[in-house]
Order: sequence, then C-alpha cells, then structure tokens
Amino acid sequence: MPADEKAILTALGKVMDPDLNRDIVSLGFVKNMKIVGGKVAFDVELTTPACPVKDQLKAQAEEQALSVEGVESVDITMTAQVRQSAPQSAGLQKIPGVTHMIPVASGKGGVGKSTVSVNLALALAQTGARVGLMDLDIYGPSVPTIMGLEAKPVVEENRILPAEKHGVKFISMGFFLEEEKAVVWRGPMLVKMIDEFIANVEWGELDYMIVDLPPGTGDIQLSLCQKIALTGAVVVSTPQDVALKVAQKAISLFNSLKTPVLGLVENMSYYSCPACGEKDYIFGHGGTKKAATRLGLPFLGELPLSTKIREDSDAGEPTVIADPNGEHARAFQAIAAQMAAQVSIRTMNEEAAVKINF
Amino acid sequence: MDRTTPVEISREGAHDVAILWKDGRRSSYAARYLRLACPCAQCIEEITGRPLLDPATVPEDVHPVRIDAVGHYAIQIMFSDGHGTGIFTFDRLRELDREDSDSPSPSGSPA
Repeated sequence: MPADEKAILTALGKVMDPDLNRDIVSLGFVKNMKIVGGKVAFDVELTTPACPVKDQLKAQAEEQALSVEGVESVDITMTAQVRQSAPQSAGLQKIPGVTHMIPVASGKGGVGKSTVSVNLALALAQTGARVGLMDLDIYGPSVPTIMGLEAKPVVEENRILPAEKHGVKFISMGFFLEEEKAVVWRGPMLVKMIDEFIANVEWGELDYMIVDLPPGTGDIQLSLCQKIALTGAVVVSTPQDVALKVAQKAISLFNSLKTPVLGLVENMSYYSCPACGEKDYIFGHGGTKKAATRLGLPFLGELPLSTKIREDSDAGEPTVIADPNGEHARAFQAIAAQMAAQVSIRTMNEEAAVKINF
Repeated sequence: MDRTTPVEISREGAHDVAILWKDGRRSSYAARYLRLACPCAQCIEEITGRPLLDPATVPEDVHPVRIDAVGHYAIQIMFSDGHGTGIFTFDRLRELDREDSDSPSPSGSPA
C-alpha cells in the first residue's frame, strides 16, 4: 500500500516555523508532493532563501514524514518565494518589481552603516535572493568604494542601468558627483535625486532592496518614509551611550512616521585583537541589545571592530566576499538571516493599510 | 497603537469625515471643524503654536474635496477653499475627536 498523503500532511503539521509561530502546512509551505510506493518527495517553500532555520525545518520535516506508516524514503527540496507585503496605502509609491525596501539608518555618522549595508546585501545575495542596493548617503557616498566598482553606470534612453557586482545591483550618488567636492544641496534637490533613483533606474525584479541612508533624521529620511512603501528599517549603532541616544532619535523618526523598525544592529561591539584574539569591549558591552529590549525591538546581532573588515571595505572586496566562511562574514550572514526572518514575520502578520473612501 | 491606527476613513453625510479606529471607536469630524484645525504653518505659527487663521475668513460651507494618505502616519486634506497644505497625523486626528472621553483636550482647537 502506498503512503497516504493525508497522513503525511498531518505529520508535517507538527513542524512549526519558530519565527512565524505556525506550522509549515497551514502556512502553505508544503508543495508538489509526489508519492511513489514508499518513496515520498515534496518541496518546502520558505518565505526567504536567507531563512535562519532552514536546516532545522528540513530535518524536522524529514523526521515527521518518515514517522508515517509506509514511508520508506523522503526527498525534500527547500525552495523560497519572497512574499509581497499587504497592499500599502495609495499615497505610497512602489518600485515596480521590487518586493521589499529596507532602509539602513543610524542616528550618528561613522558607525559603519555603509559597510553593514553592503555586507548585508551581499550576504542576502549569497543565499540566492535577488538583491539591490541604493546608496542615498549624499554627503559621503561610499558604496562604490566598498563594492570596488567606481565606473559610471550606463544611461540608455534616459534609463539608468545600475552597476552590478557580486550579484548585487547598485546605484550611488557617488557615481554622479565629482570626487572631493562637497555636496551643497537644499532639501528639494535631495528629494529630486531620490525620485530619479526610484523612477529612472532599471532595477528589474528584486526580492530585497537595501537603502543606505545618510546619518540623522533629515530630508532624505523624511521623504523616503513619506513617498515610498517601506517594509521596515534596520538601525545601526555602536554600543556607547551617546551613539545609542542618537540612534533612538532615528527610531523615534520611524515611529512617528509609522515605518516599522525590523531591528537593531550593534557595530564595533568589541575590538578583536589580531595578535592574541582577545575581545576588548572598548565602548562597553551589550548596550544596543539592552536598548532593543527596552524599546521592544528585535536585536539582529553584533559585529566586531576589526582591522580586517576595515581593510576589506577600503580595498573594495567586502568581508562576506573576501572571506565568505570567516568569523566576520558569518556574523554578517547571521544578521542578514535575522533581518530576512523579521521581513517574513512582518509580511505574514501585516494588516492592510487604511482604506480611504472619500 | 490601536487608538491611533485608522482602519477606514470615509464620508459622513454630505461633507463630514468619519474615521473608524482599530480600537473600535468611530470618530466624526464636521467639515469646517477640520478646516479650522488645520495644523499647517500658514494656519498655526510654527514656533509659538499661536493660531494665525482667522475663522471669520473661512467660508461657512468649507469642506474637504480630497483626502490623500501621507506615509503610514497621516492624511492630507484638500479643502473647497483651495487650502490643502495641512498634514493631519493620526495621533492629532484622534486628539481632535472631542467626544472621545479618553482624549486629552486638543490644544489650540477652535471653540
């Protein structure tokens, strides 16, 4: 007697996604089940290829399926389909083809926001996701340097083709400015630049678009939240008190504009001594994590202050590319996975935006 | 958050505005009351909060002609007198519901 599909689905119903707090059957993750005698094959379609519990879910699904009478072997294919958020209010634009817009913000400058943005984008791309990176840091656009590609993007019939490296499409204000010349622009010019990057760049289909914001709470942050449908922001801080206080201002801006905050990242958590390997918590330890707990926000992870990460960024060979299996790359990859999990949680639990019938 | 999260914004009667909030409350706003409560810099002095709008200059039959969403946090109302620069945040709109017993009385609200 061949194995019974219903019995297998009942067994798989015991496999819970720990982030979404629901079982993989009712979430609709189990697809394409094929049963030939005692041989069972099916797909588990997750909401992100960067899922931090992918291996755990696969092992549990295998175990449950094998526990069903008549099942001799199980062949599971793990796939992913990044899901769209609920429809946003009519006043907000979406970039056609881009599923999730994720701004990376900080209150203070110099906390390593661009290095974090670039490495998060690359870490997501390493999992198989389609990723874009928009550098809106007008005052210090450093993404081209970190990515190691400073050639101007091609403009074809008024459409800008984004630069592409290591599987990530990106655009930066740095491409369009003269080096070593300060940008002296008023708000309306900044807003025009955002419009340009949103309307006139050939982004194609993207699962995630990471947006590297300038530090602070000014025109760019405000315009972005007012005009564009954002999935949620990531806030980067260093551990010391003063940086955290400023990071809270960034969070407060997102709160007052009702833009969700996906979580906090602590950069420069400790200095990792290259000679002896000892960790020195030069700015104090655990400040960002405590702040996240206090604010009721997820803590996505911590990154060291490391000469290697700095050298990789300056050399245009970001850490997750330069040493993809190293300790530092794994820290970035773990944070990217946590962030992707938060996006999935938001998307699955999101409620429709306000209806205006006037 | 439920208090200041609107579910639906609709028309009430000919020209008034109704907001259904996530906590279940339904607030009604008379058309002219909303115009007089405009929070923009032409109607309220930015620094002091002193009202700049003289109610006598506002037509009796003024009413909203269009309502647009601003981000996730506010709406912008275009009024029949051509004024449309005010961004009404959801927090502020809940405060402007004068019959809501939980609301603190709005500062600078028209009598």
